[in-house]
Amino acid sequence: MRTILSMFAKSPFKPLVSHIDSVNECVHLITPLFKAYQSKDYEKVEEIAKNISELEHKADQIKSDIRQHLPQSIFLPVDKRDFMGLLSAQDDIADAVEDLAVLMRIKNIDIPEELCEPLMDLVTHTVALANDACGIIRELEDLLEASFGGAEAEKVDKMASSLGTAEYEADKKQFLLAQKLFSLNDLSAADLFLLNELIKKLGGVADQSEKIGKTLQIFLSR
Amino acid sequence: MVFAITACIYMACNIGANDVANAMGTSVGSGSLTFKQAIYVAAVAEFAGAFFVGGHVSDTIRKGMLDPTIFSDAPLHLVYGMIAALIAAALWLNISSYLGWPVSTTHSIVGAVVGFGVMAGGMDAINWSKVWSVVMSWIVSPVMGGLVAFLLFRFLTNQVFRRRNPLLYAKRVLPYMIFMVCVILANAMFYKGLKNLHLDFSYPEAMFYSFIVGAIGFFISKPLAKKIPDVPKKEIHKQLEATENIFKYLQITTAFYIAFAHGSNDVANAVGPLAAVVSILSSGTVAMKVAMPTWILALGGGFIVFGLLIWGRRVMETIGSKITEITPSRGFCATFAGATVVLVCSKMGLPVSTTHTLVGSVIGVGLARGLPTLNLGIIKEIVMSWLATVPFTAILAAILFKIMVWTLG
Repeated sequence: MRTILSMFAKSPFKPLVSHIDSVNECVHLITPLFKAYQSKDYEKVEEIAKNISELEHKADQIKSDIRQHLPQSIFLPVDKRDFMGLLSAQDDIADAVEDLAVLMRIKNIDIPEELCEPLMDLVTHTVALANDACGIIRELEDLLEASFGGAEAEKVDKMASSLGTAEYEADKKQFLLAQKLFSLNDLSAADLFLLNELIKKLGGVADQSEKIGKTLQIFLSR
Repeated sequence: MVFAITACIYMACNIGANDVANAMGTSVGSGSLTFKQAIYVAAVAEFAGAFFVGGHVSDTIRKGMLDPTIFSDAPLHLVYGMIAALIAAALWLNISSYLGWPVSTTHSIVGAVVGFGVMAGGMDAINWSKVWSVVMSWIVSPVMGGLVAFLLFRFLTNQVFRRRNPLLYAKRVLPYMIFMVCVILANAMFYKGLKNLHLDFSYPEAMFYSFIVGAIGFFISKPLAKKIPDVPKKEIHKQLEATENIFKYLQITTAFYIAFAHGSNDVANAVGPLAAVVSILSSGTVAMKVAMPTWILALGGGFIVFGLLIWGRRVMETIGSKITEITPSRGFCATFAGATVVLVCSKMGLPVSTTHTLVGSVIGVGLARGLPTLNLGIIKEIVMSWLATVPFTAILAAILFKIMVWTLG
């Protein structure tokens, strides 16, 4: 028996939130990963890397599930392309975290003393930024309920703007760190390259986090 | 006669079982009503709607679309035809619910009546302008439902959800909404509706009493709304939750409203043909103007309730256990809009499809950015089933009519 309720397709916003939950778990592992790497606890790096790749795989599955269940005939209150962009931004964060772990397992490097502090500073900053980005996705349900308006919209808008500022800060930190990295003379080319890649990946996490905020602002403005 | 009554009962049970689930589905799906409560509300409201307002639409099906004078020579043919129409429509309903198609009971019966009419008296037997207006109403009613729902939801977003303090504004809006529902409902009942109880109000009188009923609703709900505890402005999530809770009350009123509207419109699908049969068999002639016997409306209403209690229960239970993405505020908008359009159409004597009107109003809410998703694929199915329903029941009714004429004379 078909009833009118078959019109209400399964909301893709709920799996989007469970996707970000997996991504967030990945993000939580960034700091321990760097700590273990810095203190040369390579077994721990190995272990965390395994954890991350499991979480990333889980996120990937949710992503393809959402994509498969979003046929042409589904109508969303937001632009479908924006929605897809949001999903891939989320997924890119998990991918970048996985890449960090992969890079670390390529070669065990002694991180120069001078870099330790600014590197950890960038890590902490990026993790906080990515955490906020995950938090903004959890507001989506309330945002839908408030029909993209009112106090809830102001809250989300504020969160998105602060993501933008934080990303700008991250860029600055990244630049200073790169400057410091390239001013070191006793580093082998391979180590330099690897460390630079790590920094770039951290920058990628920050960029994608900002993109999440930007997409939500687009949702608000429509 | 017995045969006609049986067919009518069969049809009424079908209507009760299938359509009511659509009417009440959003209320059960959003958790405003448990399925048991929904059954009780539906039972009372369906019967009231059928009994008080059902006569207008029944007249259209009984004599509005056909030219009864062509049956003057053989009044029995009209009896056969109406029975054939009932059987054809009920059969089609059974087939399509077996196949899982969302067809309309209204479209089935209208198609069937037109079908045997053409078979019996040729193209001239049909009052095509009336049929046209009915078919137009099928297109107009979902569109109107959508438009009303869209505007109502936009109004609510601006007045309630986009405020800094949605709960406060929801409390303010609540009594006015109750007032509106009460006035429209009471007006539908009082104006020409109470004839069955030998109370005939003129329009101003009816309006006056409706406003009194509305005012009563207003003054009852106002202090109740005030009693709802406040939530600090800062806690947006809790605010929104509390706001939805207020809409639960509103949705319960509209659940009654839609069941009433559904009863008023859809009882005709079962009793319209029966009324025609009864009037011919009791007078022996085909009369243009016969009062709709009250007992027929009561019978139709009663068996809609019966069908709903026996089979509708199962359908509703399934809906209740399914998690749906509709919240009370959205459900309220869709149901209110759908019910208003159906009730207006009933008053105008237009048999429209409650389900299709509701589909239109749900889409209206979706277009106003009220729903997380909407499966537009169902529109295609509805249009397809609509295109299939009328020809099928028309041909089936025509064949059944021919068979009856051959075998019974």
